[in-house]
Amino acid sequence: MGDTSAQKDSGFFRPRGKAMRGEVRLIKWILSGWLAAIVGFQLFAYFLEASYSKLLLQDLTFFNLPIQFWLTGQFLPLWFIILCVLFNVWMDRNSTQMQEESLRFRIKPASGEDE
Amino acid sequence: MAYGIVQMVPLAIVAGMFALFILSGLRSGKKQSSEYGFSGSYTGRVGIGAGIASNWMSAASFLGLAGMFYLKGYFAMAYVVGWTGGYVLLLVLMATQIRRFGKFTTPDFVGFRYESDTARTLAALISIIITIIYCVAQFRGIALLVSWLFGIDYIPAVIVGTSLLVSFVVISGALGSVRNQKLQYFVLITTFILPLMLLARKLGYFWILPQFGYGAAIGELQQQFGVNWSEPFANTSLFEWFALCFTLMFGTAGLPHVLSRFYMVPGIRDARWGVVWGLFFIALIYWSAPAYGILARLFEARAGLPFNAGNADAADMIVLSAAGLGGLPVWAIGLLAAGGMSAAFSTTSGLMMTGSASFSFDIYPRLIRPGASEQDKVYAAKGFFLLLALVVMVLTFQPWGMIAEIAAFAFALAGNTIFPAFLLGIWWPRANSAGVICGMLTGVVISFAPLFIGASLPLFSHLFPLTSSAFIGAPLVMIIMIVISLLTAPPSPGIRHFISRDVHDCPEE
Repeated sequence: MGDTSAQKDSGFFRPRGKAMRGEVRLIKWILSGWLAAIVGFQLFAYFLEASYSKLLLQDLTFFNLPIQFWLTGQFLPLWFIILCVLFNVWMDRNSTQMQEESLRFRIKPASGEDE
Repeated sequence: MAYGIVQMVPLAIVAGMFALFILSGLRSGKKQSSEYGFSGSYTGRVGIGAGIASNWMSAASFLGLAGMFYLKGYFAMAYVVGWTGGYVLLLVLMATQIRRFGKFTTPDFVGFRYESDTARTLAALISIIITIIYCVAQFRGIALLVSWLFGIDYIPAVIVGTSLLVSFVVISGALGSVRNQKLQYFVLITTFILPLMLLARKLGYFWILPQFGYGAAIGELQQQFGVNWSEPFANTSLFEWFALCFTLMFGTAGLPHVLSRFYMVPGIRDARWGVVWGLFFIALIYWSAPAYGILARLFEARAGLPFNAGNADAADMIVLSAAGLGGLPVWAIGLLAAGGMSAAFSTTSGLMMTGSASFSFDIYPRLIRPGASEQDKVYAAKGFFLLLALVVMVLTFQPWGMIAEIAAFAFALAGNTIFPAFLLGIWWPRANSAGVICGMLTGVVISFAPLFIGASLPLFSHLFPLTSSAFIGAPLVMIIMIVISLLTAPPSPGIRHFISRDVHDCPEE
């Protein structure tokens, strides 16, 4: 009984079906981009500070702000918004596609039309 | 900042703003209120986003964040990244799935998913503790503002602030005034950014987008006063930065009043796009908050005032101080005070209603009075609301940190308990009641241990700082949940089937 349920289980590391596999793949990409940006920018600032003089950190500016300040305080929140938009666009497209496929499957035998 | 005198103009602005909220709530004419204590009307995805943002924007965002920038410089960026990055986790891992579970509160979700009344009660208790801690941060913000507005000391200001909050909730409730969340967000963003634009204009910076214009102030502080404010890891380690940042992100994805937004949204697509709009609205404030911190430091340096790193009260009021030192008119400072009060009041009233609902629906009829009628539950909710206000008021007399730090502690508790319970509950069908109960209890221990044994075990308090314990704590709790779940009986086939079919939309076989 338990074994049967376990075989039918679906989870993050065991996605089942086309839609879920696609969703999990997308989540992995989004989370990779999320993590890489957070950790990467801090390591960049840390090594810049540790390896070079503090003056370099002050001189490197973008939009009038010190580079590490702009990347972390201004760009990262913007990057999170971009990641969320990408996720939603893909999810919308995917769910519309799945809906169309299931409609086609249901309607075709009855009417013969491809609505 | 002038203390000891009543600030008549700012007081009139604050009173006018709350009158506007009540009147607009009455005019909307939609007396929506569910039995779970959440209320509000939604108009489209932008409206959902405004609801998420206005619910989120608390005294910690409006007052506390700028105070952290003022005191700690670049380290405070961990708050900005933590409080925005958490929404990515929430969106991709939870928002859609929570809607599909169809449960209306955190204890409801935990009880249903893990098929356990014990887990449900534990989740309710944890939600209430999170509410109390988070409300202490808000009450501190309210008290500091009341202290300035009425020219009274901190302790009387806590009592007056509590009375004002309870009166506002009672009057709004008695009149049937619905929260107009779009108006609230509009007021918050206007009261925060307009004074900043005025400050930037006065200084000759790029005032149309003051979020970018304040860079010149950093340069002036460095060159003329030798203050290297933006130095990344001058006083803190990389570990401390990451620990705080990830704790806030896990906590964002685990805070009961944040999660409750998704139970209320009409559709799954609306829930997802609402998060994006909400994140954008939140980012507008967080892009601006550092400016108040740096401008306050600049004005102090120009005036020859010493920098007092130990004055937490002054740091928490730095948004108003910056406006005062910058020579803004009193009405502009009044706008900031009104925005701060609005942020603290809306978050606190929402949180306390969520806490009261947890008590009256999850604890009262199960542990205290089995078989209680609906009327009894309503009375219990009202009584508990007053009790919560009293408990929070007493705790606020002696707060254990700055506004943002107290809020971060609540995030740490949520990140160590509710976040792992939801994450594994949604994405690992094998997680069971024994696992979640052990996991949540471990999370509570990890969160509170730094308070009690931190002094005697320095390594422990270094790995699990009070405000940042979920960085290591949340993964540890998840490991415990997995091990205990694997060692005990699996959940019923019914719930596993539900997760596959209804939550993840997997095809039947």
